[in-house]
Amino acid sequence: LFSGTGPVVVLLTVLQWAGRGLPSPVRPICDPRVLDRFIMEARDTETALRGCKAGCGVTGTFVVPLTNVDFVVWETKDTEEQALEVQSGMSLFGQALGAVRESVSRVAVQILIDNNKSNIHSLGQVLRSLHIQHKEVKQSRVSSLSELLHVHTNFLRGKVRLLLTNAPACQQNST
Amino acid sequence: KKMTNDNLNKLLVFCVLFCAQKTSIVHGAQALETKVALLLHAEPENPKCFAEGMSDLTCFWEEDEERAGSADQYSFIYTYQNENSSECSITALPAAGGKRLYFCRLSQTQLFVPLDIRVFRDDLLIHNRSLFIEAVFLLDPPANLTLTSTGMQGQLKASWLPPSLKYMGDSMMYEVSYAMAGSHIGKVEEVQASSELILRGLQSGTKYKVRIRVKLDGISYSGYWSAWTDPVLMETMPGDLDPLIVSLSLIISLVLTLLSLLVLMSHRRFLLKKIWPIIPTPESKFQGLFKVYGGDFQEWLGHSTGGLWLRPTYFYSEEFPVPLEVLSEVSLGPALPSSALPPKASEALGEEEDEDKKLKRVDPALMEGWRKTPQEHWTMDQLRAIHQHPAPWTQSSLLESHDAYVTLNAQNHSVEEPLDDILEETLPLQVLFASGRTSSESRSDLGSVQQSSGSGRLSSQSSFEYPNHTWPSKGPGYTYMAVADSGVSMDYSPMSSNKIDDIGKGVIYTNEYKNEIPAHRRPIGTPIHFAF
Repeated sequence: LFSGTGPVVVLLTVLQWAGRGLPSPVRPICDPRVLDRFIMEARDTETALRGCKAGCGVTGTFVVPLTNVDFVVWETKDTEEQALEVQSGMSLFGQALGAVRESVSRVAVQILIDNNKSNIHSLGQVLRSLHIQHKEVKQSRVSSLSELLHVHTNFLRGKVRLLLTNAPACQQNST
Repeated sequence: KKMTNDNLNKLLVFCVLFCAQKTSIVHGAQALETKVALLLHAEPENPKCFAEGMSDLTCFWEEDEERAGSADQYSFIYTYQNENSSECSITALPAAGGKRLYFCRLSQTQLFVPLDIRVFRDDLLIHNRSLFIEAVFLLDPPANLTLTSTGMQGQLKASWLPPSLKYMGDSMMYEVSYAMAGSHIGKVEEVQASSELILRGLQSGTKYKVRIRVKLDGISYSGYWSAWTDPVLMETMPGDLDPLIVSLSLIISLVLTLLSLLVLMSHRRFLLKKIWPIIPTPESKFQGLFKVYGGDFQEWLGHSTGGLWLRPTYFYSEEFPVPLEVLSEVSLGPALPSSALPPKASEALGEEEDEDKKLKRVDPALMEGWRKTPQEHWTMDQLRAIHQHPAPWTQSSLLESHDAYVTLNAQNHSVEEPLDDILEETLPLQVLFASGRTSSESRSDLGSVQQSSGSGRLSSQSSFEYPNHTWPSKGPGYTYMAVADSGVSMDYSPMSSNKIDDIGKGVIYTNEYKNEIPAHRRPIGTPIHFAF
């Protein structure tokens, strides 16, 4: 169900491009199918842990970014600001999932969390290559694992996707 | 004037814009009505909300007219996560079926964040719902659906214009429905993030109707199926002949041709006879007539060596002489009347005047009658009757038929006159008048009856000579023979009479006297080879 580590995903993405015979973009993440897979994996994790009793043993609060996207407002932002928001958010999710991993005792849950963490890490590497300076963004707090995962999913579906779909770097390399 | 023109221009522009807006409003109203109907069917929750673009949200609920209140009785409160609540203004519109619809429309929305909606009527919560706006997209149907031919059999290419939504082009999913025109059974194909689709496996030369609808794929964005577009019709390319059918037809026709040829060849002679019958030629019967003499029959006759047509006399077979019948005279009763003579014994020859007279006395009418009667009618029964009835001969009994009798006289008297062989080939009989005469000659047409001068004379008489008179009694030395002349041969049978008293004297012989064609007269003295 899950591909595993992020580099594997990158490799698969490269292979897909080789099979299609298209010139591979500089950043594989520009392929919307890659992000879509991340999104689906996050959704699956959220669904799997929704019925978890007592929050799957996870307690505490987690700082998460805001996921809401107002297109009118979003389009007023330039790509860098957008990337800053995405990068900050991804960082926060990474920290939260790491703390969750420490609290989860069930192995199945651990595997799911590890998968999501690897996806976030892959996205973070792409964003770090953009040389975006870290900036404090608006944040929110969640108090359960399901909420955390839900926010995570929404963040990926929204801001991350919008950024990658319209990023100038992806626009220049896409055909 | 200038100000008037400017005012007029402004008025004109206003009118155009108003009309355009009116058209768009009308069109928008129709689209809204369609979407409302769709959501009423597809969404169970209230209020029913849908997003048409990137920054809008329309929510509505339905109430019965009789229970419905005014719009200001209702309040629509929405709250984004981690934000304060806001209120949406409500619009009431009448609907079909005695319903009323209440609408709330947001023009600025936030996606990817939960939205709480609460509806109050007079401070009473009637509806409560939490949703993600990016999950309730209800798009307009794709525009400009076009069907084109791909140039291949059984294919059509459908192309359309995707909804112009930013950021969502690769998230759209389309459903193409196609069916034969007039049929309700069709097929559906899905395609994602594309603006065209090739329909395959279609029947050739058939008109198809195609329609399409759109929906977001559900990964980042989701929603409801849009309304179907208006169907577009197009006919596929006419089909070529199925190569299998063509090849089978060729094979079958070839096989039939071969069979017919075989039949024709096996019955060619029969068919030739029927179509071009052979004209029979007598060439086989006339050897060399055509090939050597070129059809000249006379020439061929002159040179022919065939054995069939040699003797001209073959054609005159009927003219062959009939053997002479000779009878020995037997004395009978009165002269018998003559009957009809055959045409062969028609002329009597005589050397004496009385013979001539008698000849002359022959009734030509009787001669005519004699000629007509065939000799086959000479009945032996009549002759037998004569035997059975010893009554004297009468003319009627003996000569009533067309019989010919020849009598021979055996008399001892010399021949006073030489025998005249006045043989004619046409005369089968010679008549010798011997009644009461001393000289009587027996003659035949074919030969001469030679008489020895002392041995007695033989005389022959024919009944021909006695057409009207009685048969003279000749005396005891005469023997009568009945002659049956069938035209081919003559049969002789003796006749006996009770008055014939020569039984003791001699024996009556039946003899067939045959003559042959004489080349000359027989000299007197040649004996006759018969006896009685």
